[in-house]
Amino acid sequence: MIDFQKVSKYYQERDSKITAISELTLRIEAGESFGIIGESGAGKSTLLRFINALESPDVGQVLVSGIDFQKLSKKELRLERKKITMIFQHANLLENKTVAENIQLPLELYDYPDPLALQQVLDFVSLSDKSQSYPKELSGGEQQRVGIARALISRPQILLADEPTSSLDLTTSQEIVDVLRRAHQEFGMTIVTVSHDLEVIKKLADRAAILEAGKLTDLITIQGKNSTVRHLSYREQALEVLSDVGH
Amino acid sequence: MWDTSQVFFERMSEYSPKLLESLGETAIMMGLAMLAALFIGLPLGTLLFLTAKGKPLENIWLYRIANLFVNIVRSFPFLLLVIAMQPAIRFFYGRATGDPIAASFPMMLIAIVLYARFVEQSLLDLPKDLLETAESMGATTFQLVSRFLFPEARSSLVIGFTTAFVSFLSYSTIMGVVGGGGIGDFAIRYGYQRYETDVMYAAIFLIIVFVEIIQRLALALARKLDKK
Repeated sequence: MIDFQKVSKYYQERDSKITAISELTLRIEAGESFGIIGESGAGKSTLLRFINALESPDVGQVLVSGIDFQKLSKKELRLERKKITMIFQHANLLENKTVAENIQLPLELYDYPDPLALQQVLDFVSLSDKSQSYPKELSGGEQQRVGIARALISRPQILLADEPTSSLDLTTSQEIVDVLRRAHQEFGMTIVTVSHDLEVIKKLADRAAILEAGKLTDLITIQGKNSTVRHLSYREQALEVLSDVGH
Repeated sequence: MWDTSQVFFERMSEYSPKLLESLGETAIMMGLAMLAALFIGLPLGTLLFLTAKGKPLENIWLYRIANLFVNIVRSFPFLLLVIAMQPAIRFFYGRATGDPIAASFPMMLIAIVLYARFVEQSLLDLPKDLLETAESMGATTFQLVSRFLFPEARSSLVIGFTTAFVSFLSYSTIMGVVGGGGIGDFAIRYGYQRYETDVMYAAIFLIIVFVEIIQRLALALARKLDKK
């Protein structure tokens, strides 16, 4: 379970103070696939980065399985981070390492109690024939699948996805969504996905939070899989496309 | 023409033991300088990178001190650095001139700061996402350096080391001026002071061939290591 309790985050930009997140309270249940949506600059990625403490709130606290990462020592934080993995917009692969070496990188850093076998994750992301390739020899979609495989191999409790499809074309984006959906079904971890793409969240998440200028405006259960997008504000579009269920 | 060639070869044959001895002295100076670059310059450059603003071990005072040290040594004209270091070398080693090991101290110092700056720049050129990726995986600082930074910067580190190596060779010839021995000393003593310029050109030719071989080998290695 991930608990955001009245969290706020500010940035100083020259003389002005910018609010990235404003008094946000939210609970994400263990094992659910949760979406965070909003326009650029709404604070989505900041909120996601609170979960694995890549960023810390200025006010309030974030509890992951009841633990406030801000109160941990560096060593304790590193050990807690083992339970959380992340996939990034541009996959962030190490370019001098092969696909197999990239996927196994987390296992080089720590002993995990029950990691998946390399071949199993390669098969899962359909990259068995590319294990000895280098990232530059792969397409954008293949690179992202390597990123997903790297995030799965340690069997995390929580998987964070930060705009995983925004640098991909529509077809490749659908492939990535499909892989993440299957990962959620097969391994049962909590998945938190940040995206500005409503279609991605609609297909991937069970619930979603809509952010506007750092504020949580709506918390919705996703329905209406076949609805279309009209010319409305982002928030209105989101509510219409995803659902109209409860705040 | 025949006579000139004959004189040249006779002279080279006469000087070849001295030339080999000088090359050996240069090799000692270069070897010690390269070891210092590798074992002190590499960690110092990494420290500069890690302690800079916004980096994992951000420590502005440590960064400023290390940065100032590198800047001061680099901005020193080398000959003046050699002269300025004489009392310290004499204190630590017993003598300040006359053998290649004494001459290696200023070489080592310049090698350390020169390569440290190359290393820092190589690491700064890496994608910023790399630090975040390592952090999200819970990597320790040692793992960050050994598993992420060095493997990704390896070809650039090799090229930087080669560039520094060529500079060390240039610095090593200056040691000849203060009696440090080596190929520079050979060129000055026989080519300049005795007006036997053909001997000097032979020494310069050897240095050029040596640099060319090293650069080609290093470039081939860097290409092999680079998978980007």
